[in-house]
Amino acid sequence: MNRRLAVSLSGVGLILLLALAAPILPIHDPLQMAIGQRLAPPSETYWLGQDEFGRDVLARLIWGARASLFVAAVSAGVALCIGTALGVLGGFMRGFVEVLTMRSMDVVLCFPPILLALLIVTLLGPGIGTLILVLSVLFLPGFVRVAYAGVLSVRSNEYVEAQRVLGASRGRIMLRTILPNIAGPLLVQLSLAVAAAIVLESGLSFLGLGVVPPAPSWGVMIRAARAVMDRAPLLLLFPCIALTLTIFAMNALCDALRDSFDPHARTPRARARRVADLLAPGLLPPPRTAQAGEAVLDVRGLTVEIETPGGSIQPVQDVSVSVAAGETLAIVGESGSGKSLTGLAAMGLLPSAARVAGGAVLFEGTDLARAEEATLRALRGGPMAMIFQDPMSSLNPVHRVGRQIAEAIRAHQTASWGEAHRQAVMLLAKVGIPDAARRARSFPYELSGGMQQRVMIAMAVANGPRLLIADEPTTALDVTIQAQVLQLLADLKRESGLAMIFITHSLPVVAEIADRVAVMYAGQIVEEGRVVDVFSRPLHPYTEALIASAPAEDGPPPTGIPGTVPPPNALPSGCRFAPRCGYRIPACEAAPPALMTPEPGRATRCIRWAER
Amino acid sequence: MSAPLVEAEGLTCHFRSTALFRRGPTVRAVSGVDIAVSRGEAVGLVGESGSGKSTVGRLLLGLLKPTAGSVRFDGCDLATLATAELRLLRRRMQLVFQDPYSSLDPRRRVGAQIADGLAIHDLVPASERPRRVAALLDQVGLPAAYAERYPHEFSGGQRQRIGIARALATEPDFLVADEPVSALDVSIQAQVLALLAELRPRLGLAMLFISHDLPAVRHLCDRVVVMYLGRVMEEGPADAVFASPQHPYTVALLSAAPSLDPTRRRTRILLRGEPPSPINPPSGCVFRTRCPFAISACADGVPPLRPAGRTGQRKACIRDDIDVSAMPSAVVDSV
Repeated sequence: MNRRLAVSLSGVGLILLLALAAPILPIHDPLQMAIGQRLAPPSETYWLGQDEFGRDVLARLIWGARASLFVAAVSAGVALCIGTALGVLGGFMRGFVEVLTMRSMDVVLCFPPILLALLIVTLLGPGIGTLILVLSVLFLPGFVRVAYAGVLSVRSNEYVEAQRVLGASRGRIMLRTILPNIAGPLLVQLSLAVAAAIVLESGLSFLGLGVVPPAPSWGVMIRAARAVMDRAPLLLLFPCIALTLTIFAMNALCDALRDSFDPHARTPRARARRVADLLAPGLLPPPRTAQAGEAVLDVRGLTVEIETPGGSIQPVQDVSVSVAAGETLAIVGESGSGKSLTGLAAMGLLPSAARVAGGAVLFEGTDLARAEEATLRALRGGPMAMIFQDPMSSLNPVHRVGRQIAEAIRAHQTASWGEAHRQAVMLLAKVGIPDAARRARSFPYELSGGMQQRVMIAMAVANGPRLLIADEPTTALDVTIQAQVLQLLADLKRESGLAMIFITHSLPVVAEIADRVAVMYAGQIVEEGRVVDVFSRPLHPYTEALIASAPAEDGPPPTGIPGTVPPPNALPSGCRFAPRCGYRIPACEAAPPALMTPEPGRATRCIRWAER
Repeated sequence: MSAPLVEAEGLTCHFRSTALFRRGPTVRAVSGVDIAVSRGEAVGLVGESGSGKSTVGRLLLGLLKPTAGSVRFDGCDLATLATAELRLLRRRMQLVFQDPYSSLDPRRRVGAQIADGLAIHDLVPASERPRRVAALLDQVGLPAAYAERYPHEFSGGQRQRIGIARALATEPDFLVADEPVSALDVSIQAQVLALLAELRPRLGLAMLFISHDLPAVRHLCDRVVVMYLGRVMEEGPADAVFASPQHPYTVALLSAAPSLDPTRRRTRILLRGEPPSPINPPSGCVFRTRCPFAISACADGVPPLRPAGRTGQRKACIRDDIDVSAMPSAVVDSV
């Protein structure tokens, strides 16, 4: 059990215990009047003083808690049970049941709460039973709606359909699968309802519609104290403090409960970028060699670090790649290889939890790892551009695509809106969108995935970039559309001579589009070279295994690589691929291998490359 | 060949979105599909997104009700069964899902989820279930101790193995695998494919393998059915369809898949445009709007599936006078 849960649980427990133990506590009778000592201040016998009839305030507070908490707990509990049942039925059965449950709740919501309370109290007369009925009815719609919304989002998950496939009955699915998965929001709703019920109980009792005096309740106490506020302000303070503390404890408990029921909640929280990095990027260790080469982008010894509660991890370690004008470099690797982080670091777009811990990213001589944000902003979308995997989430859904491209143009060039829009239409036509002038007025959702990706490409090339970083640009597309987009990228590169970094997990796509390839595994480059050389004669066992994993249209069935990529906080001490490698010898696990250069333009991180 | 285990005729499934006061457009997801899977046979169902292949899988399992047509499982028509009878039959047909993340309940231990099928159908007494779960985990190559863990503690490949173990728990005769590897890493894909290839003959499973990954289908399946926009374009023995495709769409689809060999950046057939919307599919042959061989007669009627070639295929194309291997093509190179 975590500390938060323990603390909040003991807080609520203490309040409950006090309330429950009221009859046996050595306190005064809450109804015992002493008119002579009315409004007496706190004393040794009466710790919190006496009220307008000389009754002990402390005793009334504790007895009042009994009434307030009992009413709140019972009414919230009744509303929870009935509301959840109705909401789950409505959400799961749909159709007629859905209309019946949801619309009836809308009717309840239409009544102003006080009016509803007045109505019921008039019919049944004030008292604790009436109060519970009023509050349950008032809280019911909240629970129904929360349960209903939860069911709608949970039922679209495949694990619900999996239960149907297994032959589970509806009742079983609702109880065993859906209910546990909507428990979180329901608990939050419960905490809100209990807190609101305590307040409402006090409010209704204050109005004289709830607990009937002289029986104590917090609302009755506040009501009575109001009349003598000018003479004994403390009387008003004590029930209010009790109310606040109770509600606070309830909310804390429900938050803690929700988190402890969720098996996901134990994930580490990302830490913000270190202040020092923001203030003085120059404090980084200097790059090993400072002068720029011919490459458009030259990444030298890039290391990216992420601080986690378990210590810092390096998802990208000592990565050096470069790409020249007119060249396509593919960075290939599986998930967790660090390929996407490398691309983001090259654009200066690392998430806030990650930071460049070493190395340099030289774009035409400018070190992006040390550049000011303003410099980066001038470069991004201008001389260097990026395309992402999911075009739908990269495009702004509420603006027409032509406007979005025009905006990208105006961010880097001085052009009027009309001029920028004309250019945008031209660009759309260039990336193969038929009827470009009309399509420019479309919203992103009106376009198919392939069209959206074309729009993204048009936006990326709008300002004539010299470097284009494409992160899995075709992964979300169908194979015939992927072929079209690959062709488009190849054409663009040939026409404009831009340098392209193509990040992908698909070896056939690499073979299709790239000149050179860098293979990444667990944050490191394990092999690099010309595509033709690497595919015909891989010099690292991981590359070899990766090629054997991709099903070819002819040849033997694919063989997988045993095991999985090691997580960055549990890397092997020697070669990172050694545990999954068929060529492993003791020397592999002794020390991490360096990146070797077996021949010009090739690199491998395998100590046994010469034996292949 | 013996009578097929699963047989669908004229399968049609249209979805209509209904708002309160108006009728939404009709999505013609599947139209007039005949498909059969024999005992112990693996059939690959291939197509792009929107081709209706996942819908066909769910229709065969009785998870969706067809608008028209029938599905027979082991001789009994699913439409005539009561809900309770269909639930009993579910023991014999199972589904492996595409997304290994959303297909496992995040709040329950995986052992309990694997045992669900055993509990629902009361196949194994509760005391025996842990041993059975251990055997199932072992069958998919995972240690028995994993039964006590939660799904989020596993990688995608391990989750997919758990999904397969759950599907195999009730010892089904028929397994639908809906893109079971497309969400996984390449090296893990091959592991899962190898697992399916190994388990299927051993357990005598009939399988419908739904995929857009053509090479994977070729290695795993005996027969292939190619779908486009809710209709079958071509079907036949896997080797024959891959070696000598008869329908122009199959040719284009095969050609579009990138090759692993960089020296063979071949001439490739680029289809123009995008698949039309299933809300308003073209009349006649649904492929005609992108087909380089389309003639006016293609718009007249829906072409029936008929034998084509010498290798046992059937195609839904009215033209026999064309050489599909000579389709107009474009060269892709990056130099």
